[in-house]
Amino acid sequence: MNASIMVIVILLPILAGAPIPLIPFKNRTQMMVYIEGIVLLNSILVIAMLFHRPEEALVLFKFTGNLSISFRLDGLGTVFAGIVSALWPLATLYSFEYMKHEGHEKYFFMFYVITYGVTLGIALAEDILTMYFFYEMLTLVTLPLILHTLSREAVLASRTYLYYSLGGAAFAFIGMVFVLTYGTTSVFTPGGVIDLAKLGDRKNLLLIIYVICFCGFSVKSAMWPFSSWLPKAGVAPTPVTALLHAVAVVKAGAFTTIRVTYYSFGTELLRGTWAQYLLMTLVIFTIVYGCSRALKETHLKRRLAWSTVSNLSYILFGVVLMTPAGLVGALSHMVFHAVMKICSFFCAGAVIYKSGKNYIHELEGMGRKMPKVFVIFTISGLALMGVPGLCGFISKWNLAKAAVESQNPLAYVGVAALLVSALLTAIYMMTISVRAFFPGKNFDYNSLKGVEDPNWMMLLPLVLFVIAMFVFGLHSEPVISGLETIASAMQ
Amino acid sequence: MQFVQNFPFFSIILSLFSGPLSSILGGKKAKWVNIAVISIVGCLSVAVLAFVLSTGEEYVYMMGHFPAPWGNEIRVGILEALMAVFFCLIMLLSMLGGEKEREQEIEESKQNLYYVMVDLLLCSLLALIYTNDIFTAYVFVEINTISACGLIMIRQNGRTIEAATRYMIMSLLGSGLLLLGICFLYDLTGHLLMSNIQEKVRELYETGGYHIPLIVALGLMSVGLAIKSALFPFHSWLPDAYGYSTLSSAAILSSLVSKGYIFLLVKIFYRVIGFDIVRDSRVVDVLFVFGIAGMIMGSLSAIRENNIRRMIAYSSVAQIGYIYMGFGLETTAGVIASLYHIISHAATKSLLFVAASGITDVSGDSTSFFDLTGAGYRNKLAGVAFTVGSLSMVGVPMFAGFISKLLFAQAAVESVNKILPTLIALAISTILNAVYFMKTVIRIYTPEKRKVLKQKQYTTVKMKDQPVKSAALICFIALNLFLGLFSEPIIELIQAGLEMFA
Amino acid sequence: MNGWILLPVFLPAGAGAILLVSSFLEHLKGKEDRPGREELHRLHVFVGAILLISAALALIAAWTGDRSVTLFYLMKDIPVYFRIDEVGRLFVTFVSIVWVAVLFYSFVYMKHEGEEKRFFGFYLLVYGILVGLDFAGNLVTMYLFYELMTLASMPLVLHNGSREAIMAALKYLFYSMCGAYMGLFGIFFLYRYCDTLAFTAGGTLNLAAAQENSTILLIAVFVMLVGFGAKAGMFPLHAWLPAAHPVAPSPASAVLSGVIVKSGVLAAIRVVYYLVGTEFLRGTWVQTAWLTLTLLTVFMGSMLAYREPVFKKRLAYSTVSQVSYILFGLAAMSETSVTGALLQTVFHAFTKCALFLTAGIFIFQCGKTRVDELSGIGKKMPVTLWCYTFASLALIGIPPASGFISKWYLAEGALEADMGVFGWLGPVVLLVSALLTAGYLLPITMRGFFPGKEDGTGEASLEPSKGMLIPLMVLAALAILPGIFPNPLIRYIQQFVSALL
Repeated sequence: MNASIMVIVILLPILAGAPIPLIPFKNRTQMMVYIEGIVLLNSILVIAMLFHRPEEALVLFKFTGNLSISFRLDGLGTVFAGIVSALWPLATLYSFEYMKHEGHEKYFFMFYVITYGVTLGIALAEDILTMYFFYEMLTLVTLPLILHTLSREAVLASRTYLYYSLGGAAFAFIGMVFVLTYGTTSVFTPGGVIDLAKLGDRKNLLLIIYVICFCGFSVKSAMWPFSSWLPKAGVAPTPVTALLHAVAVVKAGAFTTIRVTYYSFGTELLRGTWAQYLLMTLVIFTIVYGCSRALKETHLKRRLAWSTVSNLSYILFGVVLMTPAGLVGALSHMVFHAVMKICSFFCAGAVIYKSGKNYIHELEGMGRKMPKVFVIFTISGLALMGVPGLCGFISKWNLAKAAVESQNPLAYVGVAALLVSALLTAIYMMTISVRAFFPGKNFDYNSLKGVEDPNWMMLLPLVLFVIAMFVFGLHSEPVISGLETIASAMQ
Repeated sequence: MQFVQNFPFFSIILSLFSGPLSSILGGKKAKWVNIAVISIVGCLSVAVLAFVLSTGEEYVYMMGHFPAPWGNEIRVGILEALMAVFFCLIMLLSMLGGEKEREQEIEESKQNLYYVMVDLLLCSLLALIYTNDIFTAYVFVEINTISACGLIMIRQNGRTIEAATRYMIMSLLGSGLLLLGICFLYDLTGHLLMSNIQEKVRELYETGGYHIPLIVALGLMSVGLAIKSALFPFHSWLPDAYGYSTLSSAAILSSLVSKGYIFLLVKIFYRVIGFDIVRDSRVVDVLFVFGIAGMIMGSLSAIRENNIRRMIAYSSVAQIGYIYMGFGLETTAGVIASLYHIISHAATKSLLFVAASGITDVSGDSTSFFDLTGAGYRNKLAGVAFTVGSLSMVGVPMFAGFISKLLFAQAAVESVNKILPTLIALAISTILNAVYFMKTVIRIYTPEKRKVLKQKQYTTVKMKDQPVKSAALICFIALNLFLGLFSEPIIELIQAGLEMFA
Repeated sequence: MNGWILLPVFLPAGAGAILLVSSFLEHLKGKEDRPGREELHRLHVFVGAILLISAALALIAAWTGDRSVTLFYLMKDIPVYFRIDEVGRLFVTFVSIVWVAVLFYSFVYMKHEGEEKRFFGFYLLVYGILVGLDFAGNLVTMYLFYELMTLASMPLVLHNGSREAIMAALKYLFYSMCGAYMGLFGIFFLYRYCDTLAFTAGGTLNLAAAQENSTILLIAVFVMLVGFGAKAGMFPLHAWLPAAHPVAPSPASAVLSGVIVKSGVLAAIRVVYYLVGTEFLRGTWVQTAWLTLTLLTVFMGSMLAYREPVFKKRLAYSTVSQVSYILFGLAAMSETSVTGALLQTVFHAFTKCALFLTAGIFIFQCGKTRVDELSGIGKKMPVTLWCYTFASLALIGIPPASGFISKWYLAEGALEADMGVFGWLGPVVLLVSALLTAGYLLPITMRGFFPGKEDGTGEASLEPSKGMLIPLMVLAALAILPGIFPNPLIRYIQQFVSALL
């Protein structure tokens, strides 16, 4: 396929999304058709592109000197673009229904659609500068989405989000400049691009910069101590929390760390160094920390957000293993967690939409009133716990397998952390389900009058996600072997 | 000699004479004269730039054809011409952007005096840029100081007078040190023309004679100019001076006046002393340390500040710190970054001042941070412009600030032992910038409650209501984007200019 | 084609699922889950038929030769694979017997608990899963069913829906999950260091690779044993048992205590004897620690049971203690002790089930839950109490009841195995615990039959209906008879035990 398609899929949502507030739609349906049309069209283009991968790179724009905005689709980008393009249309469908009660829809959808393009920009970036560029853009275009309700809480949350993200980018920037200077090229190359001759004996410098850079990019994927923005950002409308703060934005953080680790700095130089140990310690801590905070949290969406914090660090754990197998684990969790978490967030959103209840203790008995939603929620909870047969188990398996194979003592601790976190996940997810289905003997169901399952626009995505969880859980072979092909280039 | 080579001299003289001319004109006419002069000088500078580019080498213009050591020389290279073009452009936009405020804040009878000051300021800036004579430079430094004082003071309220006094004292201290340094040099070398001094200095340096006096001279000059350009910790005069003076003064002072001194310092480094000698003298290390301290401290002060104008002013302290840090890196790449930052910061800072006034305008003329809630909806263009300026300050790609940050970082990575402090300072300062600028951006886009809006009787301003200011803002935004996206030609120009310098 | 051996897995599971869905749908329509007589009868016939067919199929599949089947590949080199081997055969047999017996009992019992459709739905589902667990041919398949079993059996515990029951069920869930994840931790390492995860008598550990990393591998195996020990009620993860049993309906506690805890035992057998192999473990600190934990549990469980006034809780502590006998036998790793452990597994299943069924009868007939309320009960329900007494004798290990045989083998095995201080400490602890067992079980019989003067005599008989009494009598008989005719079972076990070591 022609390489220009990459620009089209990035620019189409941006250009078609930007004028949404200006277009005089006759009624809501028209707007819905327009938006879903764009998103769907773009997803079809992306998927077509993924199947007929354009081989050559495309330089869109030259910044200064050898720095340019350029795109190329490689294996890793395929994975991320695939996740994004599969989830976006579904999430859009869901938000049509959800956003009815939030207001300011046009502005919401404008940024929602633009974000799609920007996220694809990260996936398709050919070099580190392009990736950084879209990474910063992502912060800016998602900011209004968090700010959406314009309540005091939202303002504070968006401020925190902004400080963390821009701050992270500032540190990531250091790494980028380092790669630009010490790399043979800035283009992502499996195995890294650092010019050893130029580096000479300054390896320690490289490690320091790598750590700084990794931390910078991992701010978006909420690694401790940079994690507190994510739960706060839960004030955004649920489609945002679900799609962006469980998938697009936070996975972009993980994706960029993969790029930096495997494609820029190169694992060869990093494996076994103090840098690896330091980062792994942070990541392992985050895995447990996120879960414990989730356990303590009584607000439904924030609990899920803390769970995301923990799960994102699963991915980062795979990344810092710095082996091809680790990359497979990381990528598989990236794919599977996307499905699981978006599903549980959508369930939470459905509950909020239908009943206006936000706290977990308010959910008692809801399972009988919204059976479909809560059955799905329970399934996604089981998947997050890593019950075999659902996709969460597969990614956990791959991560742990890689950790054991790496023969790194700290990685063994990581395996233990994964399981501790799984246990905590069981506790914080299952208590919700059990309380929803079994509210106690004398529960007065009349207090939940009018609460019912949502309509098809909300349910369809949920059902598809559940199917996906089972399919990936029982038949993960094609996905995993695809990921292995990507990772095998790292040798 | 070609006619175009006269242009630098013409532009200095033109702006010098337009001052006295304006003093006998009324306010309106003086304004038109001023704008005309700035535009003409800008055009002349463009022509000079084109000429220098076409010949590819610098030229010396002897005043009255008297050869050295008696005569006075102008020396024109790419860098000088480029700076002149930018200074004119930014001055023009700042003057346009602050037009309304000037009419409101300055007494009717003193309107024309303001333009006198601006003309003189332009003249002194051009002279600082072009002159090849260090004593001439000193003379114009003083003219510069005086006219800048006038610009601060002309908006008459207690605070500006106090600010002007402080500015005067600090500036004169700086000038005094500069003068001392020049005297030392004259004593050592017996010359006042830069190229002659440099020959002599090199001779001295190679023979090893008068090493300490030489360093002292360099130190005195550096410190003098650092004080004048508000390098931390000599910045205490700055927030008041920028914060309370009239809009166009603040914009011009922050973006041009301090930059003029810095450009003079670059000239001293390259033209008078020689950069390798400067490097060996470790003076730059001191500048580096203070630069980094300024980056952090300036931003911290800005975070604590609730007055938006003063906040932007404090941000200047941080940005000046960047520039000195660039010098401190001791590499050509660092100096290029600093020079680029002079341009990009000038463009951004004046944009911010103008945009901020647009925002405060619709918030009952209050500069208090808390009154700005929702201002971005009341004056859309100013809101957008402020956002652009803020993003540029934070260093988001696409905007001017990103390129200078990138250049600084690249320069830092190439330096040997300053890499980590520089990079970390850059990152921290970015975060701090993000804190106060983005806080404001979010604030101006958080809608105010209806009740408060009614109670405080905030107005709404549309683009059509203030055509001149809007045009200026749009130009500023465009300039910022240009610097952010198409920086390559400018960087090449700076590079070429710096090669001519050395 | 051996696919049909999965029928006993999927038939009850599917039928159970159908019942659950229909119960759920009825609930949505707002109908109470209190079926009328007619409907209830149909339900009983349906459940009974399904379970009988499945149990028959399971037994046929188990006892007609070695069969294996690969269902599909979960991951590239990890199939969901079933194979029937000796241990699985043994387990599936006693599971089926107990399950069928308890089913008939619960037809009557569940009348006072209500929501029968849901109960029987989960009951069938768990049976299917247990058969799958017993037939599982590799570790991951086993783990799959292990987790499913936890999830499916949890609703049995919280059946009555009270706050207490819910908390107990969650406790059960979280302890089991904790154990399962500890098991999973070990699985990751075994996957790396074993040649295959398919169960092979004697183990598949790659000794060369394992020796190099023995430290971590030993830790992993130990974590695994403690983890799977959670289900078997081994200290330190035993606390769920006394919480879950009193609140669950009695048939549920019966199968929980008699059968489901045994899946922890099965998992330990699979890990130690079919994957890691005793060669790697014998004499290491893992064995020592395991032995210590089991002995500690044996003793502690008995002590706690002795002090416990609530009858079902007392039985629960007793389970804690008795199942650790089994684990002790496994930990001793000698031929005789493993034989003893397997015997104890089977015997304890029947015995403990019978005991819980009596506890259920006490609750069902006269609502008595505390031990001190039971004095004089023998006058009102002599048959029940006699059955209780027989089962108690078996549990204590008084010849000729079955418990004696298994404990004999365990003690002998401990002495025979070369393991230092445990050689004599083990039998001593077992003996002390047996005394304690007598101390907490027999007073009920004594006070039941000889209440002393104060209790009223000559009250009407409270003997339960045949539907409850017959299963109880069958199980009580099964608690005694194998003690009198133990040889076929011993022979069967001995024939394969030597291959395991």
